[in-house]
Amino acid sequence: MKFDLNHLSRLANLRLTGEEEKELPGQLEKIIDWVGQLSCLETDQEEKFTPVNFSLRLEADQPEESLPPAEVLAMAPDKEDNFVKVPRVLAGK
Amino acid sequence: MSQELVELGLAEAVNLVRSGQVSLAEIVEDYIGQIERQDKRIKAYLTYNFGPALNRARQIDSRSEKGKLAGAVIAIKDNIVTKGLRTTCGSKILENFVPPYNATVIERLEAEDAIIIGKTNLDEFAMGSSTENSAFFPTRNPWDVERVPGGSSGGSAAAVAAREAAAALGSETGGSVRQPAAFCGLVGLKPTYGRISRYGLVAFASSLDQIGPLARNVPDCAWLTSVISGFDRRDSTSADLPVPDYFSNLELPLTKNRIGVLAEALLTGVNPEVAANYKKVILNLEKLGFKLSTVSFPSWEYALPCYYIIAPSEASSNLARFDGVRYGFRASSGELSEMYVKTRTLGFGSEVKRRILIGTFALSSGYYEAYYARAAKARQTITHEFQTAFKQVDLILTPTTPEPAFRLGEKQDPLSMYLQDYFTVTANLAGLPALSLPSGLTAAGLPFGVQLIGPDFSESELFKVAFLLEKSFNFKNNIDGITTVREEEE
Repeated sequence: MKFDLNHLSRLANLRLTGEEEKELPGQLEKIIDWVGQLSCLETDQEEKFTPVNFSLRLEADQPEESLPPAEVLAMAPDKEDNFVKVPRVLAGK
Repeated sequence: MSQELVELGLAEAVNLVRSGQVSLAEIVEDYIGQIERQDKRIKAYLTYNFGPALNRARQIDSRSEKGKLAGAVIAIKDNIVTKGLRTTCGSKILENFVPPYNATVIERLEAEDAIIIGKTNLDEFAMGSSTENSAFFPTRNPWDVERVPGGSSGGSAAAVAAREAAAALGSETGGSVRQPAAFCGLVGLKPTYGRISRYGLVAFASSLDQIGPLARNVPDCAWLTSVISGFDRRDSTSADLPVPDYFSNLELPLTKNRIGVLAEALLTGVNPEVAANYKKVILNLEKLGFKLSTVSFPSWEYALPCYYIIAPSEASSNLARFDGVRYGFRASSGELSEMYVKTRTLGFGSEVKRRILIGTFALSSGYYEAYYARAAKARQTITHEFQTAFKQVDLILTPTTPEPAFRLGEKQDPLSMYLQDYFTVTANLAGLPALSLPSGLTAAGLPFGVQLIGPDFSESELFKVAFLLEKSFNFKNNIDGITTVREEEE
């Protein structure tokens, strides 16, 4: 199975580095061919799989206390006042 | 005395502490000593929690009222969040992440006075079967340090086997508790989907993930499971069903005695010693009065490819949250979209990237129907085959792994590693409970494991049958160099 690794990397927000660039494309091709054997399985299942076979309870629609902003912001790699700070969204060209 | 404390099982230690015969602080100190002696070699832990553990132990000792787990020293897989205690998922991207809240299982353990002794190593984001995919270091198998402890909960399994914890929590997506349990001579449970809350378990593949306990014997595993099970309003897939006392139920008479076994054809390619051990266990069950019959699973061989489409697909979506914005590692960059790419490129290891890319492929336009949608149908077919089997038998017995613990570095090809999950993934795909227990030793002295799979919420039956088997095997998980080295020292 041929696939466009550049396209997939772009979709996944990833780049391959060093050894990965050499090894991963071949490995991925092998894995995708291997999972492709599933096309040999005859399935007449129309029903969709659901992992939950018991009734789920709905939560009351009530506001609740969340984590204190200071604790949440303490995890952020960069912040300013009460905000998480990120690099500029539009590249200045 | 200190010699024996780390040798006590969880239930024994709890009984001693609750009856006031031993202080919890003594037990914790003994475990710290054992970890300091053994962990340089085994490398089960990523983070120790010695100071807080001792303080809590002394606090609990000073109270007359003690919880159901006072005396239990527990190791926690490092993809379960612990408030104020670093949680890395075995990844560079979370290397310095300190969570601001506890997972529900941690709250439940601490509410019953369990002691969290540390956070254990794992394959990065629980993706792997050997713990070699940890971004930090591989963990060694205490039975033979040249071999892997299994994975992804390899640190948890190695810690319990090496007497560096009385029991541990791991997590499962395709066999990550049962396979390391088998490799390390322990009992490991993958509960029914919805039995144990996943609030605070870092998500890998949400339709499959479950937290599960690892212990040195069936009663310990049953004891721990009762405490951590049950409804949690913070996990929307949590089952609102009563939790039996699995430990007390071990003594109840068996009500079910029909056990299904796999057809010979499904065992081709399995290590001959593993196949012979499986047959021995079948004979053992017959001697114990069980009725054995072969069950048909035409789709069993498709379970692995099905799993390796579904799990990476869900992972590609779940791991999109690691972008360097709100927490974890951030690569420096002058522009936001480049920052995302650089952060993920430097933060994730190769196996995580492989799985994200496979999942991205299976969900991408033009391939979704042929891969993801087909796998979802295959999953339903596999689930139906179990439902049909459970009309004929009460439980199903299989080997846990196709081979015993392999050597570090032995499996270079990702596909050969994926084949490790051959017997375990079916239970994850169908959401069923499954338990692995040790069933003997290979000629080279490595543990075998067999697993019992049951219908939804049949944990009590699994524990009862496993307990009978455990007594009949009389398996000893004493390891040379772990449980005897200290006698030589003294």
